[in-house]
Amino acid sequence: MTNSIPSSPSDNPIQLLHAYMDGELDLADALSVERNIAANPKLAAERDRIIALRQAIHENLPREPIPPALQLRIERTFGLRQETSRPTWRTLAASVALAVLVTSSSTWLFFGSNATRTMEDAIVAGHIRSLMAPQPADIASSERHTVKPWFNGRVLEAPHVADLANGGFPLIGGRVDVVGGRTVPTLVYGRRKHIISLTAVPAAGKPNSGPKVSVDNGYNIVHWVANGVSYWAVSDVSAPDLGEFAKLFRATQS
Amino acid sequence: MGAEADNRARFAKLVTPYLSHAYRLARSLTGSQTDAEDVVQEACLRAFRSINSVADTNARAWLLTIVHHAACTWLRKNRPAALITVVDVAAVEAKQANSSEQDAETPETALIAKADRARLEAAIASLSLPYRETFTLREVEGLNYREIAEITSVPIGTVMSRLSRARDQLNELIERNRS
Repeated sequence: MTNSIPSSPSDNPIQLLHAYMDGELDLADALSVERNIAANPKLAAERDRIIALRQAIHENLPREPIPPALQLRIERTFGLRQETSRPTWRTLAASVALAVLVTSSSTWLFFGSNATRTMEDAIVAGHIRSLMAPQPADIASSERHTVKPWFNGRVLEAPHVADLANGGFPLIGGRVDVVGGRTVPTLVYGRRKHIISLTAVPAAGKPNSGPKVSVDNGYNIVHWVANGVSYWAVSDVSAPDLGEFAKLFRATQS
Repeated sequence: MGAEADNRARFAKLVTPYLSHAYRLARSLTGSQTDAEDVVQEACLRAFRSINSVADTNARAWLLTIVHHAACTWLRKNRPAALITVVDVAAVEAKQANSSEQDAETPETALIAKADRARLEAAIASLSLPYRETFTLREVEGLNYREIAEITSVPIGTVMSRLSRARDQLNELIERNRS
């Protein structure tokens, strides 16, 4: 089996265009494809179709996570549940909270009366799911220059990533959550032994607002809108700690 | 610390972070949530048995390779008809070569970009199995060609042709079903 793309993997200009759009070509081949696109309207049209399809997939096709029940079943099968350092009451509480959330969010789907409330539910559910997973982040890194590019291609717009280690909130990493059927970026910060999830939902045209403090299923939440992005910080740290986190993060946005 | 505990620790470190990826691939191949659950569980058993053979750096592609094989076994047993389309790839490709040429003249990119979830899922579901798998691994999971070639046990050239034809076919389906 070949382990890298040979220097001329294909003489089919369409296939080369696709490889170019997938970032699979070296510089020389990429430049040659760019010249072909400029000279050939058919190739330019094909490129636009690839971009359009990708946009539709990223905006409208959520990356479905594994059903929590299946994840639990697998972790039990391989004896991972007892191995975790987290106390079992927490797992139990999380399952119950999740069940409540699933029920309440499907109710919201049926009645559709309060979009913000549904969004809050989905974001808290994402936070709880991350606590049940072995790691709260899909990319684990304290380096914001590593975390930010990781989101490219996974969400529509990579989020603003702030380094708050000096303020006592070290960056742990990032993950992708599903909110309202869209994939959105979530940054994961630490506070002593606790986890803070900061989800950034695109909200173009929404005026800046907040911060607004609330409590959902025992989790503290701070919500604000800045520069067309709706931010949701969720954690079990104390409300003053979470407020301090939001203040520091917001200070890096101006 | 026994070997059993070591294996469990390796499983927790190398497999559990990628369970959602495994589930999405199984779901894409089998087309149903219940069947995908069977495949993922079987794949986890296989992964656990060979947990010592995997390098820590490439666990995601390794797990997805196991899911690919587990799904193929499952399909052979439970849905032999689904695999017949795999054999018939040449005919499908010939059909697509014609249709994509006609459509290249009138790209309705705005329409494609606005395709909603139901339309996208229906279009992807109607792709033949190798196209669907290749497309999912690339556009949903974000894997590169080399990883996709390893997981699906085909040369990179085949990944390239499957991917470009899968996208062509999807765009055509979305445009055709616009009304």
